[in-house]
Amino acid sequence: MSGPFRTWLMPVLLAPVLVQAATETGNDPETGLRFWQWSEGGVSVRLVQRLPDQIRGFFLARGFHATEADHIARACVFQTIFRDDDNHPVDFDLHDWRVLHQGAPSGLRVREDWDRRWPADMVPRAARIALRWSLLPTRQHFEPGDYNWGMSVYGLAPGSHFDLHLMMHIGGQQVEALLPDIECPRDGDQP
Amino acid sequence: MKTISRLFVLLLLTGIVLAQEPGRGLTPMEGRPEAPDFTLLDLDGETHHLADYRGKVVIVNFWATWCPPCRAEMPSMQRAWEKLRNQGVVMLGIDVGEDEETVFQFLADYPVEFPLLLDRDSRVVDAWGVRGLPTTFVVDPEGRLVYRAVGGREWDSPDLLEAIRDLYR
Repeated sequence: MSGPFRTWLMPVLLAPVLVQAATETGNDPETGLRFWQWSEGGVSVRLVQRLPDQIRGFFLARGFHATEADHIARACVFQTIFRDDDNHPVDFDLHDWRVLHQGAPSGLRVREDWDRRWPADMVPRAARIALRWSLLPTRQHFEPGDYNWGMSVYGLAPGSHFDLHLMMHIGGQQVEALLPDIECPRDGDQP
Repeated sequence: MKTISRLFVLLLLTGIVLAQEPGRGLTPMEGRPEAPDFTLLDLDGETHHLADYRGKVVIVNFWATWCPPCRAEMPSMQRAWEKLRNQGVVMLGIDVGEDEETVFQFLADYPVEFPLLLDRDSRVVDAWGVRGLPTTFVVDPEGRLVYRAVGGREWDSPDLLEAIRDLYR
């Protein structure tokens, strides 16, 4: 592509994304922990760090043994707030999302992955139910005004950095976006 | 520079609002499918069959004590119930996967008077096709699902109260 062509064409091609979509990062006012947010129109996805100690405590209180609670806690967990304040329905499937870490793509650890990891005889029923329902739904359909809170788990070591490739359908239209340079919460013993 | 600072504050406030605001409205359920029946115990050991409430509007809320938006909407559910209880509307909160003691402790901070039922093995929430908590359904007097709300709501807002009262007209 020649220089002048690139000069005028690229902004035109990128214009819809630049105008409609926004990413931001900052510190959550309630917890002081970092957040990353993507929004387009009235649809938004916000990831807020959850410290491994918080996650350990949460799952220990719900019947997990220490080893299992620690496994989840160190798997890069974010509180995730997915809202549809738009005027169109939104559909998503977390299997379509990609975690980009050190050049390699991988998937999120969703409810069904944890079910397979810990069959019914390994983890108490109440603990399994709590884990399942505390995670962001794997698939969801929002009508305007709907939203979910839930943990999302990325399977990376504390302190890792990654980009998150999002995909969803807004009003039947496929929308993809990149939420760049997200940092997994660090563990208590990390600087 | 001032403009950039203002923009940053605006973006931050937008983020706070996006994270904490309740959802809005009720989604009409296409075809008004029949609500799956259930039999569950409440905290006092009383049995509740959904079918026993035929002839009444029933609000069925699936929730858990550890779920932030579930906790956030509880006070407005209580206020809505205070406004609707004498008009024949039934409100049932169905806790997913927890025991009596956990829910009793929750009530110390969030006093609600409508019945709280226990879906200990999550069988009912699965049968209702719920994917995330909280999710609330409104059942009409014929036992059909008429509205659904995914995420918390301000249940005592005039538009929601009106939509629920309209089911008796």
